[in-house]
Amino acid sequence: MADNQKDLYYIKDLPVPETPAAGKEPEPWDKTNIIGKRIPRVDGYERVSGTAVYPADINLPRMLYGAILRCPHPNARIRKVDISVAEKMPGIRSVLTNDNPAAKVKWQWAKGHEGPLFDPHCRFEGEAVAAVAADTPQQARDALHAILVDYEVLPFVIDERQALKSGAAKVHPDGNQVKKDSYSRGDVASGFAAASVIREHEFRTEAELHTPMELHGCVANWDGGSLTIWESSQGVYAVQSKVAATLGLPLSRVRVVGHYLGGGFGSKLQPGKYTIIAALLARQTARPVKLFLSREETFLCVGNRPPANMKIKAGVKQDGTLTALEFIATATGGAYPAGGTSILDWLVRDLYTCPNVRCETTDIFINGGPARPFRAPGHPQCSWALEQIMDELAEAIGMDPVELRLRNVPRVSQGRGGIPYTTTGLEECIRQGAEAFNWAEARQAASRMNQAGGHLKRGVGMGSCVWFVGGGGPPSTVIVKLFADGSVNLNMGASDIGTGTKTVMAMIVAEELGIKPELIQIENADTGTTQYATPSGGSKTVPTEAPTVRSATVEVKRQLLKMAAEDLNEPVDALRFDGEIVVSTRDSSKQVKITDIKQLNKRGVVIGIGYRGPNPEGKSVNPFAAQFCEVEVNTRTGEIRLLRFLGSNESGRVINRLTYDNQVFGGITMGIGMGMTEFRQFDAGQTGKLVNKNWHDYKLPTALDVPLQMTSLPIDLPDPEANNSGAKGLGEPVTIPTAAAIANAVCHATGVRITSTPLNPLQVMSSLANSRRKED
Amino acid sequence: MLPGFSYTRPETLKKAVEELKAAEDAYLHAGGTDLLGCLHDGVFPAGKVVSISALKGLQEVRKLSDGGLLIGALTTIRTLETDADIGARYPVLSQAAAEVASPQLREQGTLGGNLCQKPRCWYYRGEFDCLRKGGKECFAFNGQNQFHCILGGSACYIVHPSDTAPALLALDASLQVSGPQGERSLPLSELHVAPNDDPRREIYLEAGEIITAIKLPKPAAGLKSSYRKIRARQSWDFAVAGVALALVMDNGTVKDSRVVLSGAAPIPWRSQKAEQALQGKPLNAEAAGLAAMEAMADARPLEHNAYKVPMFKGLIKEELLKFIAD
Ligand SMILES: Cc1cc2nc3c(=O)[nH]c(=O)nc-3n(C[C@H](O)[C@H](O)[C@H](O)COP(=O)(O)OP(=O)(O)OC[C@H]3O[C@@H](n4cnc5c(N)ncnc54)[C@H](O)[C@@H]3O)c2cc1C
Repeated sequence: MADNQKDLYYIKDLPVPETPAAGKEPEPWDKTNIIGKRIPRVDGYERVSGTAVYPADINLPRMLYGAILRCPHPNARIRKVDISVAEKMPGIRSVLTNDNPAAKVKWQWAKGHEGPLFDPHCRFEGEAVAAVAADTPQQARDALHAILVDYEVLPFVIDERQALKSGAAKVHPDGNQVKKDSYSRGDVASGFAAASVIREHEFRTEAELHTPMELHGCVANWDGGSLTIWESSQGVYAVQSKVAATLGLPLSRVRVVGHYLGGGFGSKLQPGKYTIIAALLARQTARPVKLFLSREETFLCVGNRPPANMKIKAGVKQDGTLTALEFIATATGGAYPAGGTSILDWLVRDLYTCPNVRCETTDIFINGGPARPFRAPGHPQCSWALEQIMDELAEAIGMDPVELRLRNVPRVSQGRGGIPYTTTGLEECIRQGAEAFNWAEARQAASRMNQAGGHLKRGVGMGSCVWFVGGGGPPSTVIVKLFADGSVNLNMGASDIGTGTKTVMAMIVAEELGIKPELIQIENADTGTTQYATPSGGSKTVPTEAPTVRSATVEVKRQLLKMAAEDLNEPVDALRFDGEIVVSTRDSSKQVKITDIKQLNKRGVVIGIGYRGPNPEGKSVNPFAAQFCEVEVNTRTGEIRLLRFLGSNESGRVINRLTYDNQVFGGITMGIGMGMTEFRQFDAGQTGKLVNKNWHDYKLPTALDVPLQMTSLPIDLPDPEANNSGAKGLGEPVTIPTAAAIANAVCHATGVRITSTPLNPLQVMSSLANSRRKED
Repeated sequence: MLPGFSYTRPETLKKAVEELKAAEDAYLHAGGTDLLGCLHDGVFPAGKVVSISALKGLQEVRKLSDGGLLIGALTTIRTLETDADIGARYPVLSQAAAEVASPQLREQGTLGGNLCQKPRCWYYRGEFDCLRKGGKECFAFNGQNQFHCILGGSACYIVHPSDTAPALLALDASLQVSGPQGERSLPLSELHVAPNDDPRREIYLEAGEIITAIKLPKPAAGLKSSYRKIRARQSWDFAVAGVALALVMDNGTVKDSRVVLSGAAPIPWRSQKAEQALQGKPLNAEAAGLAAMEAMADARPLEHNAYKVPMFKGLIKEELLKFIAD
């Protein structure tokens, strides 16, 4: 590269942060050059132009195509699988069933729940029965049709509300209760006794099904005893460990690559049976096998947000002080333990100050596809109940909903025994959000309009939240390599699940070194070449990886200073970076360009390794949010128009405003899906099969379902205690209060409280009609 | 996966009729947006697919000498949506077209295909051996029927999926059909098969017959028309409830009217009771309310779709009142 081009690497005359001595953590950034800006994605060109190779794009020489035959019944025992016709069909290279010794592998659903990979007892529609590998995907699918399975169809239960009743079919011999958890603090009885007003309601949220744009699946290839898997995944190391454990292989024999991912949302935190099946088919045929599920299959077997039935009771004093909260809920993670009630009660425990709280959650088996984590597990469900009852209380005591919430903002994590949060921006999210939204005026204007009559009603509603985790934490190991020309390679195990992880991490390196983010080469999500990282989920990728990347970069800087000290004959602690040069603070004539440092040129590279340090002890790191929306309800037809939405988030330091806003808008959109359009529909009372396993009948929100006016309001509050980047997680709080905020707005508009999702015209019309009937 | 079938794309209408007639399991392929979905999902098999996309003569939209309009069967939904003459003279049709599916599907889908499309019932489209597909029972009757019919159901309880059909019915459209026996004309009102007559058939076309064009009469003086659709999401979705209105107004009085519902019945549903309620009346809130009531007089909701009754009442009233506001 020509010398004048090399200059382009550096941001001229901008100081880079100080380099801490060895063993010391870097100080929080003061003024930043890159962090906080709107920086386009470093891999934007690849993603948009189509050159980015997603796992579904992988094509290997001699590659075969796999497909899985799935049980069409919610509960059935397999008497016999006849593959005699399928085996002989053209292009068929392997057929695997439970009768085949090569398929005798145990699949662990959860601790204590192990079964054969091809389990002869299929406990949900969509369970794997057999698999084939063929020369073409069409041949593979055709062969599935030719496999004859003799099923003994068994009684089933697909509704958790029926599953604990006597006489309900049993999903497992020990009955349908997975577990019951309870929590309490204070004394709810005396809390309710002290309340001026008590409100109690039953709420329900429907199951949401995972169906990300890129289908679930992988390409598997053996080279001798070593297996390489390209998987559409949120965490390559999670896939590696599960595959190695299932197949009895050392970790070193399983390499998992997942450079790009077309959407995961929690459903790709782990591999599936499909991953193991692809590996087995590849081993049987001694050829690479590509196995991606069909769209229909994703609806059946790659997870869901469990439906929840929630009874909530709340007491408040006239001055807005909460006195007691009681939350009793049931939910189901499907046919195997899969966290049906996981952190379902967290908001009740932690969000608002309340001395007396009691929660009881019961997880129940049904003959349905097992749940998987779904963006902020448990929280949007709980929010649906809690935020609506908060509005009921506010109305009952004649207080503004925003005011009631502000009265009850905690400084400590009550759900964790009262330890403090490192920082909490909950109050600012609510206060500044309400102000930016013009809450007070909008509420009044809506009420005025509604009083004037007419069938179009306006409503304004809100909700707020904390997210259970979001502070990240160890382990993570990251390597930053600086080449002789000053350009950088960033090597990290974490996946970029579409949130912009690569861009954010490049910005961290760029901030520390003063080089342009787009000149950083990123190598990530490959167990063969990058270091251990936990999967990207739980809103922990930024707070886990950003400080690790910073530590690795700082380590590079330390080494460069050491090398420069030799060149300049100055003590290391007298040297500092000034843009592209290292200069002595004692004598500014003593300076050397980074790219002229002798040792660097001799070695060709400097390597910095960063490790994620521990989180602060005795404190909780959490992000907070509030959302506000305005709706118009057509009371003649039950139609809701979302007019505008505002999301205010406190997730510590804002690193990239563009990817930040993407999360906020995406989270609201997903929340609109849960609140207004999505539901899982079983054929209850008849076959128990899923009737809406396609993108038409399972209704994801479209561009037209999202309001034109969406505002992201970051509460930029760097959290110096959380980690050295000051950032907390964002990806999940952005979707927690959306559905509840809409429900509150609809109630404000119509005076009718709708307790079940989704708020589609069907549901709204029935609720309005019912309430009219009651009034008549 | 698609089933194995042979494919042909004849150059002439005559050849297309022959090809279609020659095999019992032959299907006509216009835009293919509905047909390919059905084949892919295994709703029915096809031995032969006859594409009519080469028949340029079926793509024209032409004003007739009597002031009416001829719309070739291969006219895309997008053309109906954007054609200025249609927008000015037959707003109900362009509004209905704009409500169909998504921009991509409107660009690809044709009017002929839209009228002949298969039902969207999730049992019919899914892995259920339902009555309409030759099985013994209608699963919707005792099952998940929130999107099903409240009028005209018997044996089968689908709703007709087309948005354009109610609009065309409101305009008294007729069809031109070519078949082995030559040409014939058919009022659109005689195209769709009620389940009462045959729950396994959607349209009254004989083997080898092809719709070549749709004819609209000249709009009567004082004609006001509109289409509105309620759906569970704002794009890429069929009608939960819809209404096509065509009113001939004379000095504020309804001289003649068509009230046709979508999302209500197994066929596009003309409500003569609603029309009678409007006949000769000044169009006001009272008349609109009465027509809306009358439209629902015969409604027989199933277990999960009672909401449709107040919804249709609200919708019809609202749409009628918009004509007064104008
Ligand atoms: C996801 C999705 C959403 C949709 N949403 C809507 C909606 O909201 N509203 C709506 O109205 N429609 C909707 N549709 C249906 C689509 O608009 C219609 O299918 C389209 O207009 C059909 O036109 P086509 O040319 O693609 O039909 P094709 O698929 O080619 O044909 C459909 C049927 O009609 C027959 N046919 C076609 N042309 C003729 C002819 N000239 N004579 C005789 N028979 C013929 C075919 O044999 C076939 O059985 C949707 C479709 C999809 C896939």
